Amino acid sequence: MLSQLNSAPLYLICGSIVAFVAAVCIVFMVRAYKAGIAIGMDPVKLKRTLTSSVTFSILPSVGILLGVIALSGSLGTPWPWLRLSVIGALHYETQVAQAAAERVGLTTLSAAEMTPVAFSTIALLMSVCIMWGMVLSFFFNKAYLQKLSGDPKEKKDGKKSFGDTAMVAMFIGLVSTYIGSYIGGFVSGKGTLSFQGDLTPIIVAAVSGLCMAGFIYLTEKKNMVWLESFSIAGSMLAGMLAAILF
Amino acid sequence: MNEKYLEKYERKTHVIGRTATAVTLVMLVGAPFLIGSILGALPDLSAAAKGFLSVGIIWTVSSVVEFLVYTPMLGAGGGYLAFITGNLINMKIPCAMNAREIAGTHTGTPENEIISTLSIAASSLTTITVLALGVLLLVPLQPVLQSEALQPAFANVVPALFGAMAYQYFRRNIKLACVPLTIMTLLFTFVPSLISQTSIMIIPAGAISIGLAWLMWRRKGLQA
Repeated sequence: MLSQLNSAPLYLICGSIVAFVAAVCIVFMVRAYKAGIAIGMDPVKLKRTLTSSVTFSILPSVGILLGVIALSGSLGTPWPWLRLSVIGALHYETQVAQAAAERVGLTTLSAAEMTPVAFSTIALLMSVCIMWGMVLSFFFNKAYLQKLSGDPKEKKDGKKSFGDTAMVAMFIGLVSTYIGSYIGGFVSGKGTLSFQGDLTPIIVAAVSGLCMAGFIYLTEKKNMVWLESFSIAGSMLAGMLAAILF
Repeated sequence: MNEKYLEKYERKTHVIGRTATAVTLVMLVGAPFLIGSILGALPDLSAAAKGFLSVGIIWTVSSVVEFLVYTPMLGAGGGYLAFITGNLINMKIPCAMNAREIAGTHTGTPENEIISTLSIAASSLTTITVLALGVLLLVPLQPVLQSEALQPAFANVVPALFGAMAYQYFRRNIKLACVPLTIMTLLFTFVPSLISQTSIMIIPAGAISIGLAWLMWRRKGLQA
């Protein structure tokens, strides 16, 4: 069964969809770059955005690749490759694939039990379960953003609106949730207040944060602005190295 | 000139975004049927429907929340792209926020829309390239990436990401960060079962932060 799931037609189908999405990304990128230049944005700033986003994304992408490898043992390589390149999310795919496998009568998600019907049903369920963000985006992105857009005069003045503060606040909430979950995991992960849970995520986050502090110091105080594009990637790498060492 | 140009740019962004979203959706839902026909077995729709009712509903609710919360952060172009390419929380949102921080743009401005789109597109292309190379080199790469020694590193990509971003954001908003961080830490400590629901807990934490930020913003406005 696994050889069928790794066959050339499946690579062709999945590869074509990935190629289409890559083309869409290129179209958006070129349009945005041109628009930035047209409205007088600094080309250096635009290029730094691209560089920082690429360096930022390399390590998490390798993590996602591990998800492809993990799922390839039971679903073949082409389908997990497609799912994690397009629309998918690392934490979601394994969970849904497992639940879908149980629904189609498999005891576990494995190549040994996989049948063609089970595979196509699991694949359909994986697609349908996560497509709603796209559906909402298709119908409501425009109307929702128009409703949210503030006073155009304020925007022209370049004043910081509450919308801006709210976005930062929302992100702080997001980061706080994750950091809180690492602390809670250590303190109560193996019984409330047992302090015997996993300490590694806290160490990793702390090392990464400290490294970021170093990068910010060099960027702001020593005027090494070029480092800014690599600060997150560099800090992440230090944090991940700490995970190996501890 | 700028206003007319931007109006046209925005209008076209929605047209391209919607078209790309629709085509991707059709391909993504159509692929299992196409693959099924090649394998000689179409999907079992009744099992898929039952599966959707048991696991899909949770993800549908989660998708609605993600759309409502993250679309304003990403803007039009970034929003379409991010929902097509996925991995929002662990990559696209932090990536767009980082780009915004570096470029110094403000939410709702055309500059922010452009930076966000550039950032999400570059990030998506990076993932697509890394995954394509990874799949191409799967045989030689697999033993390296799955080696025992490297496992702790890859298991901690997200803590490494949020550790760096925590410093970046907390240092300028320490008063604002203290409250959600304390509340979330206490909540996860005393109700550890919530740790498995971390992505859902972002919503109350975000609401608390926004509420506090609004109070601080209003007080600042009254003092000015």
